Amino acid sequence: MTVLREGWLKVALLLLLAAGLLIGLYLVSRLTSNSPVVYTDPKEHFKYGSTGGEILNGIPYTIWKTLPVIFQLPGGDYRSFGFLYESGRDLPVGVSKRRYRGMDLVSLNCAICHVGSYRSNPAEAPHYVLGMPSNTVDLRAYYEFLFNAAANEKFTAGRILGQAEQMGIHEDFLNRQILRYYAVSLTRTSLLNFASRLNFMLTNPAFGPGRIDTFGPAKALLNFATDSRMPDTEKIGTTDLPSIWYQRQREGLHLHWDGNNDKVQERNRSAAFGTGAFPPTLDRPNMKRVEDFLLDAAPDPYPYPIDKTRAERGKQIYGQLCANCHGPDGKNFGPHQGALGEVTPIERIATDRFRLDSYTAALAVDQNQLYAETSDPNERFSHFRKTFGYANLPLDGIWLRGPYLHNGSVPTLRDLLEPSANRPKLFYRGDDTFDPVRVGFLSTPERNGRKFFAFDTSVRGNGNKGHEGKTYGTDLPPADKDALVEFLKTF
Amino acid sequence: MSTLSPNWKRWLAIAAIVLVVVGIPIAFTAWYKFFREVDDGPWSSLEERFKYGSIGAEADAGLPYWIWVALPRVFPDLLPRDGQGGWASFGIPWEEGHEMPIGFTKKTVGFPRVANNCAICHATSYRTRPDETPKIVAGGPNHTGNIQAVLRFLTNCAKDPRFNADILMAEINNHASLSWLDKLAYRFAIIPQTRKALLAREPQFGWMNRPNWPEWGEGRDDPMNLTKYFMTKLPVDDTVGTADFPSIWNLGLREGKWLNWCGETPSPLSVIIDSALGLQARPSTVVSQAAWIQEFAVKKRPPKYPFPIDAALAAKGKPLFDQHCNSCHGLGAGTRVGQIIEIAEVKTDNNRLITWTAQAADIANQTVEKLGVKRIGITKPKIEGYQAVPLDGIWLRAPYLHNGSVPNLTELLEPEEKRSKVFYRGYDMYDPAVVGFDTTSPEARRLGFRVDTTIKGNGNQGHLYGTTLPPAEKKALIEYLKTLGPVEGEA
Repeated sequence: MTVLREGWLKVALLLLLAAGLLIGLYLVSRLTSNSPVVYTDPKEHFKYGSTGGEILNGIPYTIWKTLPVIFQLPGGDYRSFGFLYESGRDLPVGVSKRRYRGMDLVSLNCAICHVGSYRSNPAEAPHYVLGMPSNTVDLRAYYEFLFNAAANEKFTAGRILGQAEQMGIHEDFLNRQILRYYAVSLTRTSLLNFASRLNFMLTNPAFGPGRIDTFGPAKALLNFATDSRMPDTEKIGTTDLPSIWYQRQREGLHLHWDGNNDKVQERNRSAAFGTGAFPPTLDRPNMKRVEDFLLDAAPDPYPYPIDKTRAERGKQIYGQLCANCHGPDGKNFGPHQGALGEVTPIERIATDRFRLDSYTAALAVDQNQLYAETSDPNERFSHFRKTFGYANLPLDGIWLRGPYLHNGSVPTLRDLLEPSANRPKLFYRGDDTFDPVRVGFLSTPERNGRKFFAFDTSVRGNGNKGHEGKTYGTDLPPADKDALVEFLKTF
Repeated sequence: MSTLSPNWKRWLAIAAIVLVVVGIPIAFTAWYKFFREVDDGPWSSLEERFKYGSIGAEADAGLPYWIWVALPRVFPDLLPRDGQGGWASFGIPWEEGHEMPIGFTKKTVGFPRVANNCAICHATSYRTRPDETPKIVAGGPNHTGNIQAVLRFLTNCAKDPRFNADILMAEINNHASLSWLDKLAYRFAIIPQTRKALLAREPQFGWMNRPNWPEWGEGRDDPMNLTKYFMTKLPVDDTVGTADFPSIWNLGLREGKWLNWCGETPSPLSVIIDSALGLQARPSTVVSQAAWIQEFAVKKRPPKYPFPIDAALAAKGKPLFDQHCNSCHGLGAGTRVGQIIEIAEVKTDNNRLITWTAQAADIANQTVEKLGVKRIGITKPKIEGYQAVPLDGIWLRAPYLHNGSVPNLTELLEPEEKRSKVFYRGYDMYDPAVVGFDTTSPEARRLGFRVDTTIKGNGNQGHLYGTTLPPAEKKALIEYLKTLGPVEGEA
């Protein structure tokens, strides 16, 4: 009897041990999991792949999905911020997903700012162009939404889990407990903390769709004092989002609007901070795939008819006036071609100087400690420079890059060829309907109840002056200007 | 004693084996993680080494690298009021692309640590126009860096409740992929120990943190009081010895002369050794460190005056120099250069002079001797006054007089009542109209330290030589002063 009992006891103990071991193994494998959703197609990877931003700065998928419903955004998702949704896709372009420690987290990726959209008329379905500057996404409004949500009493685990259930979002038992007791409050704290660091930027004039403050977030990351110590002239750095095609040919050019860095990889990683990817968490293989894709990514060819004779005439003018700074055409460019990729002093270019002044010498040197002490000593940032003007950019796909100038203050190419006094003082951004006459996007105050962003050029940082005068073509006869615009369509 | 029983022997053997198997790896790991020294460098030049090379202070005074990186990001509110963010807030010259500001060394002693070298006070910067990258000159007097603010910042951080492992590690983890072991070391040993060490050194600086005590501001310190309170245990007194940082280029010119403003040390090597000890360089290697620093300083020449010089006017100035300046400042034979000029004769502010005593010199020499360092000792010179310095590269050594109380050469040739009573020092924009730095513009006010010459130690009286010359002769004399070398390219 006792023998038998002891035998059973041993078996029971062994079973218990085995079960414990299995549970332990399961937990270890679950809590050390770190796997992004994989997209084999480079284009899909660019649109939806992860840079690693989820690991330190991701938002649990369940929270991210339920917030627009709980806080009643139109459509119950993020399209009102201009996020682009493709049919059959759960997440919009520019939002990535990764399972980290057993939970699905989402973050932004490069495509959030670098996929744009155009259509011939409002009724037509939009074409999404990879590498094109986003002309619809209002990233600041998106963040303000998240920050306000985090500060709202409705940001609770109960509400979020309840909403998830209604929406059929299934988290397993363990994740529900983690969300309930830890992840929701952690997300909330992180958002509020981030909001406090970005505070100076949130009091700046509105960005509107397709614009961002490139180095404001860098100041937040490095936690620069933003009180009275930061002069007002350094607080506003709002810029139009840039295109990111043909990176191979951009190596060695002065990149960023003020030309503050001439190393593509560093520029990329600096931008990746905006996706939440920090030195310890940057998914280097995934990032490399994005970078490789961008090396030769190209803009869509101009889809509408081009008047060849007029373009030919425009080519002559371009050669005389524009080619020295902007390269021979939209495809063949690189360093050491005239003044392409060099910085034109602010006195000469005379465009709005807020963006220039927002990037300070102190920030440039402080960035030298980013990516220090990683396994590869060459990763440390060392190419940032304080410059004193704006860089001469290549014009590849320029037809898709409106509005123009670094702050997106001039709606169309044709307007850019007018002296600043004749450029529109107020126009609307955010409509992706293309205007083949003036080349740019339509300025539409409102359509189907959707209000577009009123861009007021008298607001600080929005100045539309500069890049004008005889050498910039604004004195040309109208026919010549039209010809030049016609030629620029071929880029 | 009788032999041990076999049982005991067995236990002893087991203990010995355990000690070897467990103890040695632990001891080795501890040595590796906390004490292993890795040479910094190699250096591309002596000048690079001067700017960034270790002088052996990391073991005793080194801040753990990641704490050093995190501090300005965790405590931006404790940075100086005129700071612009990050370590750049202290105004110490920082070359673009470099990880560390000049004068900050990074060396692994167990883990990477940050200490200082001579260049923190002896490298300077200037600009010829506002929109220009500053030119940095190693060996020049730092006039933009606020060393007192650095000292205060570190202790203020340590005193702040936010200086704890949770908060610092959260910041560090944004930027570093520390191993599990390193994270433990930081959390439980390095962070608490650093805090303790910083707090422990606060009393050493209590004398300068007295309420309403005159500030050093940019480009100055109180060298003999620092030495006095550091090397002797003499009671705190009421003396204020604020002094401008000197240039140390052309150090060969000072051999056999009296150094320090009041001629306390008769040997350049001794000044280097004592200054290095003040930065907590390791005594056992300080003499060999001082040797290469001296080699650099002897070889280094100041840059040429960067604006045009009117050669004809300068030629007119030479006889004026010979007549009015040469007997004290001339480099030829028979002048009093490097000799002490009695206070009754030079009549400049005497506060710096009276900070140092014969008793302090005796004790300091005993302290250094006890450290095992052999050098020509420091003294209290019999002649009480200020030594006549050579004027090599004098254009870049503004503001003038030992306490930096006269903003530019033009004012130095004016009588006391015409010299500025208030000006701002620390902005590196050069003003060739007055031959000195811009000390009045809004930018100078924003970035600079307000020098009030009525405050103790800031007196701008005395050294009235040449002040009665007619204006035209003053102009000629100043033109000649711009040429004084030997400068770059000269022997």
